[in-house]
Amino acid sequence: MIESTANKLLGKSENTTVYVCVLYYFIMAIFVPGFFTIHNSWNLLFNLLPLLIVAIGQTYVMLGAGIDLSVTSIVAMTSIIGGYCLSDITAFIEPVWLRIVFSLGAMLLTGALIGLINGVSVAKLGMPAFMVTLTTMMLFSGTAIWLTRSQNSYMLPESFVNMPYTSLWFIPLPLLIGLVVVGIAYFLLNNTLYGEWLPSVGMNSKTAAISGVKVQSTTIWSYIICGCCAAVASILYTARLETGSPVMGQHILLDVIGSVVIGGTSLFGGVGKIQWTVIGAVFIIMLDNSLNLMGMSYFLIMIIKGLVILLAAMMNLLKEGKY
Amino acid sequence: MTRFQKAIQLLLNYSTVVLFLVVLVTFGLLSPKFLTLGNITNILIQSSSLTILAIGMTFVLLTAGIDLSVGSIMFVVGVISGKLVVIGLPIWWAIPLVLVIGLLFGLVNAFFIFKLKIVPFIVTLATFYVGRGLGLYISETRAINLPESFLQIGSSKLLGLPMPIVILLLVLIIGHFVLSSTQFGRQVYAVGNDMAKARKAGVPVKKILLTVYLICGLCAAISSLVALAQLGAVSPTFGYQNEFMAIAAAVLGGTSLFGGKGNILPGTLIGALLIQSIQNGLVIINVNPYIYPVITGTVIFLIVMIDSLRHKSVQKALRTKTTI
Repeated sequence: MIESTANKLLGKSENTTVYVCVLYYFIMAIFVPGFFTIHNSWNLLFNLLPLLIVAIGQTYVMLGAGIDLSVTSIVAMTSIIGGYCLSDITAFIEPVWLRIVFSLGAMLLTGALIGLINGVSVAKLGMPAFMVTLTTMMLFSGTAIWLTRSQNSYMLPESFVNMPYTSLWFIPLPLLIGLVVVGIAYFLLNNTLYGEWLPSVGMNSKTAAISGVKVQSTTIWSYIICGCCAAVASILYTARLETGSPVMGQHILLDVIGSVVIGGTSLFGGVGKIQWTVIGAVFIIMLDNSLNLMGMSYFLIMIIKGLVILLAAMMNLLKEGKY
Repeated sequence: MTRFQKAIQLLLNYSTVVLFLVVLVTFGLLSPKFLTLGNITNILIQSSSLTILAIGMTFVLLTAGIDLSVGSIMFVVGVISGKLVVIGLPIWWAIPLVLVIGLLFGLVNAFFIFKLKIVPFIVTLATFYVGRGLGLYISETRAINLPESFLQIGSSKLLGLPMPIVILLLVLIIGHFVLSSTQFGRQVYAVGNDMAKARKAGVPVKKILLTVYLICGLCAAISSLVALAQLGAVSPTFGYQNEFMAIAAAVLGGTSLFGGKGNILPGTLIGALLIQSIQNGLVIINVNPYIYPVITGTVIFLIVMIDSLRHKSVQKALRTKTTI
């Protein structure tokens, strides 16, 4: 019964990834001291959430046969906007919660705006997604560093900085945010018209257009969703690190694309699921965390992650019977 | 078509060249130092490494592939050649050795792509991280200072031309010749246009794919040596994001990311020179260094945009013709 619901929830084909994930977790729990502790479990969770949220946005873009390399710069840009809005400049706004709501709104708006620029350039102007997001990555990470003169902004309000440690209905707030994002993303993809349109655009935009799908706006919205997801992740990062930093999230691009690809979402569009990306992100974070606990250096972890992504890509091809 | 429309069409067709001229004239007006012979030689020397990298990238892009690992190959090659020279190996021994390392990286990329059929993007993203990790591991994240002899090669001259420009010209001419005048070159375009059809027509697709990634790896290694001979040191960020610059240079030169379309001369050369002139010009007119990536990014964005608008208008023109 549990297995059948699990199958229904996850779909059959990606069972192997789930099994690999669970197996890896137990092996690490037994052999790596410090892995299976409450402290480390929280650590895993808090590392997972922002990455997962960015990866979900990326899944949307990849479903529409695009790619968004600019997510890291969106994280950085929204982080400094948030840091700016939460600093002393807005201190006249009372009470504090209004200030925070205003700032979070500004962050989300920034993310959506950059997503809109990406989306319009790809869908309306017909530019290749790779080049568009490559240049917006250069542009906005450059702008973030330029605006702040590579200074971090500290002095964020107490209640914002305490956000990761507060709970609502006994659930830590970041976890709640993560669950809400996953929930909305899942609902949007599985229960709405948009969720049917997006993969059809990714599969073949010409046939989709003939069948009455609004190809352009579907594509634009996928980039806006991706931008908003990156902004939400940026909120979590900014609160946790207690700084608005122009180089925030600079090193997560591999992890983001890795999570989506390990999950099994196709780079060519049309095939992909939110739950796949969740598994992919969990695996990447577990790998990172366990290798760290084993005392491996940053470079070795980099090498191993690269190899694991190759291996996962091979496994996906094997499952599809391409060999 | 009116004369005005014709002029617009002409402008759009040569958008990169036009923008290149606009950039040159703008910086020339802003600073009298920009358009001097000395500075133009300077731009050529500075762009030699990027151009060589972009030439290798052009081969890969023409087959509808992509190579994100070239920056990491540059780094590994730099670190290893630095280590070898520092422990006392003669430079003329170290150079062939590290060129082989570049080829090896290309071989690994090609193996995963055509044997295991993984998409080039994923394969080279993985080798990008593996390469950078390896380089950091070997160098222990420290900068390696190269001996004076390395810099001397960079500033030496052959027939009155600075060494980097000589190497650049050699790679440029060989690359252009191979691509435009050999059977292999034509097969590269065929594979990029339609792999399945090329295979049916008897093109050895696997061999072509293997060769382009080998060429790309080799070009990355040469590009690394050319850059090192000018810098004299390998920092932990050496080669970082150079793959993006190389892709941008090739695309600015008119090479399509979807394969089958593009050339090295004049395309990729103009693209690389354009990027380098912007960076050189910004230094000369003394702009705040923080703005460099913002301006470079904007210009590349604009050119890619003009290029896609041009394709749209061409498509429209074709469509109206067929309906009439």
